Amino acid sequence: MSDDAADVQRVLSGDVDAYAKLVDRYYDRCARFAIRMLGNRDDAEDALQSTFLRAYRALGRYQERDRFSAWLYRILVNQCRSIAARRSHRERVFVREEALLLNAPDKRPAWSGEDEEFVQRVLNELDPLLREAFLLKYIEELSYEEMAALTGAGVSALKMRVKRACDKLRDRWERIRDD
Amino acid sequence: MTESDPYVDWIAREAKRAVAVDPMAVERVMARVRQEPLPVRRSARWRWLVAPRALPLSPLVGAALAAGLIGIGVFFGHNIDRGGRNRTGGPEAFADNSPRSPSSDSVRVIKFVLVAPHAATVAVVGDFNNWDAQATPMTRTPTGGTWSVALKLPAGRHVYAFVVNGANGTSQWVADPTAPLAPEDGLGAPNSVVLVGGSAS
Repeated sequence: MSDDAADVQRVLSGDVDAYAKLVDRYYDRCARFAIRMLGNRDDAEDALQSTFLRAYRALGRYQERDRFSAWLYRILVNQCRSIAARRSHRERVFVREEALLLNAPDKRPAWSGEDEEFVQRVLNELDPLLREAFLLKYIEELSYEEMAALTGAGVSALKMRVKRACDKLRDRWERIRDD
Repeated sequence: MTESDPYVDWIAREAKRAVAVDPMAVERVMARVRQEPLPVRRSARWRWLVAPRALPLSPLVGAALAAGLIGIGVFFGHNIDRGGRNRTGGPEAFADNSPRSPSSDSVRVIKFVLVAPHAATVAVVGDFNNWDAQATPMTRTPTGGTWSVALKLPAGRHVYAFVVNGANGTSQWVADPTAPLAPEDGLGAPNSVVLVGGSAS
């Protein structure tokens, strides 16, 4: 039995503190994804809180044959989507035809700040679907099959999103270089 | 990685760096967790009911069972048609929260229906399946672009949405246009709400 499965078992047996070990084990990695995905720490904290809370509530349905990390990430990805959608609904930029999003012109000025701030800035400029696919592929280093299981999207759609994300990042770089 | 590109690789390398985390964040999670009731593992009986197993059947019994399954499909199709929904426009959906079969006071059968004629696949996601887009695929009716699935849900408020996957690889989460949206302090505006055991609000 893995450490994760043993901790889940302990929680279900009444040891709530065992859940702290699971949270501690995965919080940093989940935080990295949430911050990169949502672009700010307040939204990321909301996503992380609701992810770990929902995971706790659903722990009785966790099947030991599944990797806990994959199960948790599925919840995290969906929480990030929900928060991004809620925020984007206010900003009127979410849930449009993907083709429109992919071809939307970028009118933002070039950026020349520190590396981390710059990286977050260019990630924020990607459409959420492209950003999600890029992060899962390049940062979390998941296979397309794992990404499909997490996101519900098909492998071909995910490959297309990753490619478009890379194209946009490359375009961005070339514009900065030419400025 | 799928492509080798110095700039993309640099972005990935930078984005992969660990982020600074508030040392109290885990404690904040645990403070909320401690206010929750202890999660309960599905009973062994439930797991036995849902576990896959081989069931040897004689050809005669198999044919009888197949006939029964076809009957169920017709039943659902009939109910969808009776709803009189628009079959030619964009996605249109309703959550029919009337019970379809005798059930306990705490569990009802809820049928989710979405009209999406151009979709390749459709699934319903919600708090009842951990927002897992693989967990609850919907079935297209033989007569058109209507997708449906019936779920047993416990009484209470449930937040849900539809995941519509296009033949060209696109994937969209859409709210149920005929159901109330989840409030801002719920899971997000694009989600919908159904109250099981009462009317949605």
